[in-house]
Amino acid sequence: MKTTTKLSWKSLVALTICLTMLLVSACSNQASEGSNEKDSSGAYKDKLKISVASTINLKDGELDNKFHQYWMDKFNLEWDYNYVEWDSWGEKLRLWINSGDLPDVAAWNYIHGDAMNYIDQGLLYKFPDDWKERWPNVAAAYSLTGLGDKLEELKGGTYILPRPVYYENKPADPLVNQIGVIALRKDWAEAVGFELKDVYTTSELMDYARLVKEQDPGKVGSSLVPISYNAADALTNIIMPNSEHARVESAFYKGEDGQYHWGPADQETLTGLQIMQQAYKEGLLNPEFYTWKNSEGSDNFRVSGTAAITSLGGLASYRQDVDKAMKKNLNVESDDVVHTAIVLGDDGKYRNLEQVNFWSALVFSPDISTEKFERIMDLLDYSTSKDGQMILNMGFEGEDWKYGDNNELVSLLPEGTSLEDKYPSRFEGLYLLGDDFSVINPAIKKDYRDRAVLHYQDKAKLGKEGGKLAPYDWDVQLYDSKSKNQATFDYEKEYANLILQSGDLEANWKKWVESKQSLVQPVLDELNNLK
Amino acid sequence: MKSAAIEESNGDGKGSSKIKTLLSEIWKHRMVYTLLIPGLIWLIVFAYMPMGGLSLAFKDYKANLGICGSPWVGFENFTYVFRDPAFIDAVWRTLYINIIKLFIQFPFPILVALMLNELRMRRTKKLFQTVLTFPHFLSWIIVSGVVINVLAYDGLVNSALAMMNLPTINFLGSEKMFVPMIIFTDIWKSTGWGAIIYLAAISGIDQDQFESAEIDGASRMQQMFRITLPNILPTVTIMFILSVGGLMSSGFDQIFNLANAATKNVSEVLDVYIYRITFQSATDFSFSTAVSLFRSLVNMILLLLADRVAKMMGGDGLFR
Repeated sequence: MKTTTKLSWKSLVALTICLTMLLVSACSNQASEGSNEKDSSGAYKDKLKISVASTINLKDGELDNKFHQYWMDKFNLEWDYNYVEWDSWGEKLRLWINSGDLPDVAAWNYIHGDAMNYIDQGLLYKFPDDWKERWPNVAAAYSLTGLGDKLEELKGGTYILPRPVYYENKPADPLVNQIGVIALRKDWAEAVGFELKDVYTTSELMDYARLVKEQDPGKVGSSLVPISYNAADALTNIIMPNSEHARVESAFYKGEDGQYHWGPADQETLTGLQIMQQAYKEGLLNPEFYTWKNSEGSDNFRVSGTAAITSLGGLASYRQDVDKAMKKNLNVESDDVVHTAIVLGDDGKYRNLEQVNFWSALVFSPDISTEKFERIMDLLDYSTSKDGQMILNMGFEGEDWKYGDNNELVSLLPEGTSLEDKYPSRFEGLYLLGDDFSVINPAIKKDYRDRAVLHYQDKAKLGKEGGKLAPYDWDVQLYDSKSKNQATFDYEKEYANLILQSGDLEANWKKWVESKQSLVQPVLDELNNLK
Repeated sequence: MKSAAIEESNGDGKGSSKIKTLLSEIWKHRMVYTLLIPGLIWLIVFAYMPMGGLSLAFKDYKANLGICGSPWVGFENFTYVFRDPAFIDAVWRTLYINIIKLFIQFPFPILVALMLNELRMRRTKKLFQTVLTFPHFLSWIIVSGVVINVLAYDGLVNSALAMMNLPTINFLGSEKMFVPMIIFTDIWKSTGWGAIIYLAAISGIDQDQFESAEIDGASRMQQMFRITLPNILPTVTIMFILSVGGLMSSGFDQIFNLANAATKNVSEVLDVYIYRITFQSATDFSFSTAVSLFRSLVNMILLLLADRVAKMMGGDGLFR
């Protein structure tokens, strides 16, 4: 009897503790953890713990460095950082948003159909109506994206902050997407007698790759990869230069006849596929290029030094990364061995996507407290200001950089090092993308910055003079329907599969186009019936 | 049989006394029945309660409205499902792969169980069983990583071929080799584990039968075919029926991790299709639930059919 009483008492205590813990944990998300009240010196009185998710890989211990501490001290906050791998970015954010587990603030790869659903379902935080007056720097950058205003018209409020690519340092007009810039081995080109130019057609690049394959100027033997593209790179640098509507961003487009068309069914896409298949069959592409993920293609160029051509992209920072990687891994000066260029179609026309001035977006948890939201917005507003941009991109004045005699920016970082080396994983630049500052950032070698601007200008010039730039069609981009969502394909995989199939490519492509019609045609019909 | 059933249904008194007998039997063996409770709870929580979510297939799901609050759309999701040729292809592909698996892979655990049973040295038997069961505990991510490293262009096999001046083979990018690779790796991973159930069935065979057979001069092979196999046949039948009931489900982990763009046309089975439409394009849980429901329905029909066929052939079925 006594034993039974004892057990019951213990059980009761255990149950009470469990229930209390449950209640505490269940309520803790909603509870306010502090205010945004400031002391006489203008510092926040209360510390807030803020969860954030982004694709920047913050490793253990890196939050302790001076840079991260500066932001945490200035805004009196503690980060709960969630690293999201690039490969699972979209998938993880979808799960988080749908399950109500979104961190307080997260970088999200914007998809319009999903955005509409999420907003309708109350899965994203709605900004207060006066936010633009309260955080003017963010509002100024936001207005340049175009998307922000369009979404406000559609949804009657702000739920998403599209991230501006360019703010004050736009390199060319019209602005063309940074993709479509390749890097090739300059020393090997010279060795095989291949002319160095700023612009090549896809076939010219294949000629170079053939020469390298025949002569192996780098003496890398069986490890040689003449064109080191993964499936996504092949789409960007072989198919897109020949067909501007072959990519998902511009697959549905309004033709000259005023009707909507599906780009992958265009003859130009077949041309791109034929060139890609030829490159594969000749062994210019790696036999297993379609299994490569992320940087596996570029690693052959900058880490193992076994590739003649790789996909680079147009930002100066990308070029600087190659420089660092080559120094570290191959012990070579990249300026001696790397040449960058843009790619034309085989008909000599330049094709790419017109750059809409945003990439990805910031979204906030619908359960975020007002205090946390305001604190994050304060941080974003400061990070978008001139002072904030200088700290984000240059580090601390007097320590990492200074103004020169002519008021120009001078980096004080030791030669060969970058801010990333000193302060790794600077995720605090959550809003304004680094592309803008990279145009003027003295921490990036001037030659690289100039070259990047030249590529942008060439793209704009070639695009205007007979080129084909796929416009950003707001009607298509902002159109949302079940049919459109269903007609979303992973084009890089589809194209890779097509060129790998046995039999006649044209016949396979026609069959493939036909097989997609039951999904594509309803979208075309809907778009053509839009008012 | 018929009259007994009529008597049962008509005789209220008899029916209630049967229930009373059942309840008293349960009470009598209550300690044994208590052991069922965790399993029953698991079944209710993880198998029956989620079935409410199947209503999503007939709804336009909105997370903020919840499953109950989302509006009904009838069979609209199914019309979208059936207009996608990739779905139809995935159905056929799933059936194709699983039927091949059923006929090639199904006998392996039985063979292994029979062979292990014939081993007389206890230690050797344990060793073989451990070695054969071990792969089951490796995740498909690890197994596929090993397979990819072994079969890649610069992998173990191709390097060996190259060393012998033989032409290298594109194992991973070959549509023809994909299904054999799936089957081979699945046999390697699951045979040992699958044999456990048959070993359990074998251990339940009355040893007197073997002793009598030995006295009668039956060889080991004869004992295997005349005693062991017939005795485990009910287990084999049930396992076969269950396998038929899973014909529309393929091992997602295995195929997802071993597939690539080159093998897309032979590797996008229903599970991979469902994953793709759920997570790789715009999220539509109603649509993917409709596909899952269709798959479960076909699985159930196949299971009932197999059960019926097994009974028609004089064997035991799942449902008596």
